[in-house]
Amino acid sequence: MMEREAEHMANTVIGSSIVIDGEISGEEDLVVQGTVKGKISLKESLFVEGSGIVEADIQTQNVEVAGKVTGNINASQKVELKSDCRVVGDIRAPRILIADGASFKGNVDMDAKGR
Amino acid sequence: MATNKEMTGGAAGATVIGPTITINGKLSGDEDLTVRGRVEGEVTLTKTLFLEVSGVVKANVSVKNAVISGVVVGNVRATESVELTKEGRMVGDIAAPRVILVDGASFRGRIEMGDASVSRAAGDRVGRPARVSARPSAPPRPPPPPRAEARGMANSKSTVTPILSKMESKSPPVPPALAAGKRKVVVRKRER
Repeated sequence: MMEREAEHMANTVIGSSIVIDGEISGEEDLVVQGTVKGKISLKESLFVEGSGIVEADIQTQNVEVAGKVTGNINASQKVELKSDCRVVGDIRAPRILIADGASFKGNVDMDAKGR
Repeated sequence: MATNKEMTGGAAGATVIGPTITINGKLSGDEDLTVRGRVEGEVTLTKTLFLEVSGVVKANVSVKNAVISGVVVGNVRATESVELTKEGRMVGDIAAPRVILVDGASFRGRIEMGDASVSRAAGDRVGRPARVSARPSAPPRPPPPPRAEARGMANSKSTVTPILSKMESKSPPVPPALAAGKRKVVVRKRER
């Protein structure tokens, strides 16, 4: 928790009333409380909060989803689906955590871990 | 956690686009937006856009207020105000009722401030003719005053005759008395 708060401090937040239709790229953490459609590519972490809706292909280091994600997630480290999230799409990451209560539909590929 | 977020976001609005972030596309929302990174495409907000020094916006921007300390390439339309601070640089057109360019700001483009007020005034004008046309009897009004004057003058003969004589002096000479007699003046007399 502390970590997350610290991360939230410095970084990019897409507020709950914001709608972005297009591409987001960057080298820092991104917190989504609003809606993002299109494509997200980050070198750091993506946090999709409870109110957040992402309809995009995601390419990041870490992804933490508490909201809704429709699209493929490709993380170089970890994907974490929190208890109230809804995710539809394929997940590809070496570490994938799905919490009790999470809703998920799609393929999981942890191939990096298998190697 | 939430409070912490609110506090950090509260500084300038809930939404922040960090310095390394690039957004390419459409961005819209009903809250303040702080841009420290790069936004290309279109920005539509019902609140305020804060473009910080490190921020770059290459987009058509439509907001309520814009405070620009970074770089804007594109047109900015604000329903309230646009402020270009001393660090602000902009190329494009501004349309807003209030535009503030601070010393040090760099700007190239067109500014339109009158738009809102002109349209308001135009609206008034559009409204008024309808009222005027509703009373078509109004136009004749301007002519009457001379008549009224003439009548008023006719009441005092002495003033009428000189004036008439002056007027008629250019046309074929007619005895002022006759000229006056041909006119209403005499009738007035009879009426009396």
